[in-house]
Amino acid sequence: MRWAAWIIGFIAVQAACIWVVQPDLGRLWVGLPRLAGWIAGGFPPDFSGFGDLAARAAETLALATLGTTLAGVLALPLALMAARPANPYPALYHPIRTLLDALRGIDGFVFALIFVAAVGLGPFAGMLGVALHSAGSLGKLWSEALEAADPSPMEAARSAGAGRAQAAAVILLPETLPQTASAALYVWEFNIRASTVLGLVGAGGIGQELKNAVDLLDFSRVLAILALIVAMTLTVDRLSSALRARLL
Amino acid sequence: MLAISVQGLGASLGGRVVVRDVSFDVAAGEMVALIGPSGAGKTTLLRAIARLLPSSGKLVAQGQPALVFQQHALASRLTARDNVLVGGLGRIGFWRAALRLWPRADMALAEASLARVGLAGLGERRADRLSGGQRQRVAIARALHQQSRILLADEPVASLDPALAEDVRSLLQDLARRDRLAVLVSLHQHDLAARFADRLLCLEDGCLRQL
Repeated sequence: MRWAAWIIGFIAVQAACIWVVQPDLGRLWVGLPRLAGWIAGGFPPDFSGFGDLAARAAETLALATLGTTLAGVLALPLALMAARPANPYPALYHPIRTLLDALRGIDGFVFALIFVAAVGLGPFAGMLGVALHSAGSLGKLWSEALEAADPSPMEAARSAGAGRAQAAAVILLPETLPQTASAALYVWEFNIRASTVLGLVGAGGIGQELKNAVDLLDFSRVLAILALIVAMTLTVDRLSSALRARLL
Repeated sequence: MLAISVQGLGASLGGRVVVRDVSFDVAAGEMVALIGPSGAGKTTLLRAIARLLPSSGKLVAQGQPALVFQQHALASRLTARDNVLVGGLGRIGFWRAALRLWPRADMALAEASLARVGLAGLGERRADRLSGGQRQRVAIARALHQQSRILLADEPVASLDPALAEDVRSLLQDLARRDRLAVLVSLHQHDLAARFADRLLCLEDGCLRQL
């Protein structure tokens, strides 16, 4: 009976989503040849001015990397306050967790849109957008790692007269380093993928080139940019996996 | 000279009274074994004396007691030396601890504590790369590093093989005899306790009873 209720509930949710999205296979069928034509017309990819493309890709890498680093700086105190064993001010536990949920809930793209209006076009706005959203994600992941750690060494430190924050800095942070570093690498990888579209709102990076090429229906250029994005994200994934393997 | 004096001590866990109306003293240089079956309240009593649990009644101790936890409670990624230094966190400030700027005197004391438990030269080894007996010794060294005159040990030989258990038992006895610490050890092996303790306290259902 319980399984039947779950299945009926799942089907009901999917039906509601279909009603809202109105998927139309007919339109897809009509659109597919057009898409195939664009892809075919995109060959050979246009890598002319590769230096400019590479500079834009480097901008994406740089804003995502700096954004992740700034996110880590912001997330560390928030994560400590959002983890019961480390928080020296229990009254702030729920407000901080709510703040982390709010930061996570607003996409980096939306933050970037707001920062473009505030600080102007360019990768700086993108970096700030990435940092704010990722501070929420990292804070949440890190606080969960801190809460899942073995509490007994902390208790031993507390019984020796250590303060909660002091014990957290000396014991909890090193003990959870594999988990927290792995989460940071995961967020970094995610940010590099997500940052490729920040150019669509004028927040810098390779996305700006992509938008220009799509606007001009220059599919050879689009294909070249997509190939560069795939190469960049695969390289970062491999690098991140290697770093993670060393840490664990 | 009395190091611990407990009068009518009671302690609860999750609203359930686990220890009630317990009274005893331990003198400096004395080794007292707290025996009793599993669930008798030995751990709760030790934790109450270490002030890790709220308690009722009267507890007078010569400073903050140092507790050796049942499962060592070591930070597995820290070195043996850093685990020992944790015992001195109460003496240094937040930033010094967070940045690992241990005072030189504390470093020397940590080395001395490791040497005292027979682990000289193993300070750099990570705790998760030590044997069970070595981990227990690091836990004792961390308690010594607190520089308390009272050492509480919760089932310190429970997870060790007989030879290692004998080593740890001798070490605790030596700490009482030579270093004049007041040592209160919980054990569930009556015969072992009778062989090496100066005095036995038997706890049953949270109350002390006559042997």
